Amino acid sequence: MSQRLPSLLLFLALIAAWEAWCRLAAVPALVLPPPSAVLATLGSEIVSGRLWPHLAVTAAEMALGLAFGAVLGLGTGILLAESPRLSRLLRPYILASQLVPKLALGPLFLIWFGFGMTPAVAITALICFFPLMENTFTGLTEVDAGRRDLFRMLGASRLQTLLRLKLPAALPVIMAGLRVAVVLALVGAVVGEFVGGRAGLGASIIAAQSVMDTSLIFALFVVITALGMIVYEAVRAIERRVLHRYSKG
Amino acid sequence: MDEGGTPPIRPSASLGTTFPARGKEDPGLAARCANAVAPQDDEGAGLRQPALDGQAPFVAIENASYRYRPAGPPIVDGIDWAIPRGAIHCLLGRSGCGKTTLLKLAAGLLLPSGGAIRIGGAALGGPDPRIGFVFQTPTLLDWLSALDNVLLPVSLKRRPRAADREAARERLALVGLGDLAERRPPELSGGQQSRVALARALMGEPDLLLFDEPFAALDAITREELQDDLLRLCALRGSTALFVTHDIAEAVYLGDRVAVMAAGRIVHAQDLDLPRPRPHGLRYDPAFAAACRTLRGAMDGAG
Repeated sequence: MSQRLPSLLLFLALIAAWEAWCRLAAVPALVLPPPSAVLATLGSEIVSGRLWPHLAVTAAEMALGLAFGAVLGLGTGILLAESPRLSRLLRPYILASQLVPKLALGPLFLIWFGFGMTPAVAITALICFFPLMENTFTGLTEVDAGRRDLFRMLGASRLQTLLRLKLPAALPVIMAGLRVAVVLALVGAVVGEFVGGRAGLGASIIAAQSVMDTSLIFALFVVITALGMIVYEAVRAIERRVLHRYSKG
Repeated sequence: MDEGGTPPIRPSASLGTTFPARGKEDPGLAARCANAVAPQDDEGAGLRQPALDGQAPFVAIENASYRYRPAGPPIVDGIDWAIPRGAIHCLLGRSGCGKTTLLKLAAGLLLPSGGAIRIGGAALGGPDPRIGFVFQTPTLLDWLSALDNVLLPVSLKRRPRAADREAARERLALVGLGDLAERRPPELSGGQQSRVALARALMGEPDLLLFDEPFAALDAITREELQDDLLRLCALRGSTALFVTHDIAEAVYLGDRVAVMAAGRIVHAQDLDLPRPRPHGLRYDPAFAAACRTLRGAMDGAG
């Protein structure tokens, strides 16, 4: 706790400065609402229950997109690492698919999938795919030659080498990829909603913008940030549990 | 032992007590070591091992060569070598002389570009379960306990039974790690990790043990302890072994016969007629020093 204290004090100081600036300089609430107004809006959204369905939609898009993207990325990473020929054939295409600005695909996905959750899930999955694929590939190909020779000497099959050596050895790198993917998943879900969402935190921001409710936009920022932090910390906790067996002590 | 909490396997060879003071050396030891000073002078091009009492050697390396690219320079250049059953041979050489490549040829991890490797008369066509390999690094799996690491040769073939676990525990006890079976490699010291690797190599009951500088990264005292462990374990089962090292004293201490390699060829070979089991204090015996000096000369001569 004492380590977090300076960080907390800085946060309080920044909020106080923001509040003071709004009051003293008489900044119009439409441009920058004071934190007290943002807090009041957030409170009323929570109490009225209007927030929860949107939060649920965004969280669901995030989870589905992450699940599809991660499974696909893991599978592709394994496939490319196990088959150098396939890797040489497909890698340029996979790289190209990642260099297309994925958010720019939003309008296209709207045509393909229509309004609703599907385009946001698709964008999220596409964004989450890459860090998982890249880290799985790197982790699997970096297993040291000595251990691979050991498995050859012990007569291990290719599948055994993958399951008993390569995947466990690559797990820390794969988990790091998952951590990156989780953060990107939130970005994917929110921005996906900007384009074609009818519900969700991103869609709510667009709705608030159309009625010039700046303090609601800020309140939604707070909710999105909190959601991101909770999910990130959850993944960190899972990572620590899984990797517990890799570290000293 | 340097790693706290582990009982030593053998009574610790306290260096101060066992080797005699200068001038009044144990005459028996000196006499037993006398032969070691006189290496077979069989240096030169057409180096061949003498026939081994008329019977085929257990390991026969026949004119083996290896190159990474067909047109490239040979890493191993037409080597003939034979190891009789139960003997410990050492390959000595500087980094990059091709000794590790030769060892991988003997393991079946690499296939020779020319010539052949025969184990027990049969040509080697790939990695063989009769061969145990101890690598330069312990190559343990960090996410498994020491016991499960030792069990790996079994668990890759079938689900380990209670008897297998018992055997693995026995192997760990043999290398002095009986109490640390449940620890994972990151919780063990470098010397203890090397011991686990040794126990694992013994798990498959191999007929031939191959060592690729397994103790090079350890401190001198731990290295000497492990050398004694290794000799004891080999003697226990009468194992045949080929040990690669760049450490002259290690080669002399372990080997019945030592070959010096340079630029892919064997440039010198000599039998070591030092007593077995190696007596404490052998390292400080004049015969030991003389053998080291001869080998050093051969290595220097090889450039």
